[in-house]
Amino acid sequence: MPSNAPVRLATGSAVLIVLACGAAAVSNALAGPERRLEWLARGPAAQAPASPSKSTSPSPAGSSPASSAVAGAASAGASAGKPWKDATGEEVDSLFGSGALFLDARRSSEFRDGHIPRARSVPVWEAGLDDKIKALFSELPDQSVPIVVYCNGGECEDSHELAQRLYLVGFDGVRVYRDGFPDWAKRKRPVSTGATP
Amino acid sequence: MGQAQAAGLDGSDALNIPTPPPSPTHSAAVRSAVSSANPPSRTSAFLRNPRVAGLAAWILGGVFLAAAVPKIIDPPGFAHEVSNYQILPRGAVHAVALVIPWIEVFAALALISGFKRRSGSFLTLSMLAVFLVALSINLARNHPVDCGCFSTKETPKTPEERIASMKLAILRDVGLGALGVWSLKAKERSF
Repeated sequence: MPSNAPVRLATGSAVLIVLACGAAAVSNALAGPERRLEWLARGPAAQAPASPSKSTSPSPAGSSPASSAVAGAASAGASAGKPWKDATGEEVDSLFGSGALFLDARRSSEFRDGHIPRARSVPVWEAGLDDKIKALFSELPDQSVPIVVYCNGGECEDSHELAQRLYLVGFDGVRVYRDGFPDWAKRKRPVSTGATP
Repeated sequence: MGQAQAAGLDGSDALNIPTPPPSPTHSAAVRSAVSSANPPSRTSAFLRNPRVAGLAAWILGGVFLAAAVPKIIDPPGFAHEVSNYQILPRGAVHAVALVIPWIEVFAALALISGFKRRSGSFLTLSMLAVFLVALSINLARNHPVDCGCFSTKETPKTPEERIASMKLAILRDVGLGALGVWSLKAKERSF
């Protein structure tokens, strides 16, 4: 019946979409941590502050005393209106030498292929990000410690996203390595491989 | 009576006399006469051929299946690509990245198998329309993005190269859309 054709089309499409949703749910439930996604993505703005003692409203870079202390003399490259500061290669070398904590925001597979020694893998686009940030918060009672986050430099925004999320849970000594891992490798700095720091 | 005939009616309508339905032989004769007066062109006949339309459905299904596989293998990578378009609210990105590839798979399977083929065509056309709008919005605001159509890996390209790739992707989507419209003519199969 021609008059039933739109109904059949809509019903058929709905059936295919329902099947797709079911398959997506099963596939995601069976996926390993590297492939799994949380259904509801939580952006930095939705991240609940974990530290009631700290002000979590975004403020200009270096506005708090702790942040200023961490930033030290490296005031160049500050991200206007952002709660973190960009760091150049030389500044990152200095922070690396002083034992700052490095966090790699790239995918786990990229981390395994090569990363800055001692860096921890905190991939922004994989499941378990919140847990990793909470664990970091529990591990570091002093949230003003210097933390360097990096990804692939250039147009890569993952390090900025991680920096924002760290800031919102209370870390205010976060520096973003602007040129990222490609710059580190290009300058022939030491590189570790494998899944562990 | 003369007015009725002038209006294209026969006398029976004017006098409210029910007209007997045309006999099958009469209808066939009329169709034959019409088709002999306006024979369909070879191209038109080719395009309307359900088997050829079925081939279009197969090609479109194959393309969508090939596009879905990398996204299913790497949902975080695809979510990253979706996020780069800066169109969806952040909270919706993961759900879209999880479901879209599977819609592509089921639409492709419908196109290839013939079961719910028109629904598969409809879904592929709808998705192509969404992709076209997303690419066009980013082109309009001069925001170069990786298409994310057949791969979830970021490619090392300059912004100019990305813009050129986006334009090519739009052209490709228009071509695939034509295949989608064509595949609507293909026969459905019922099990």
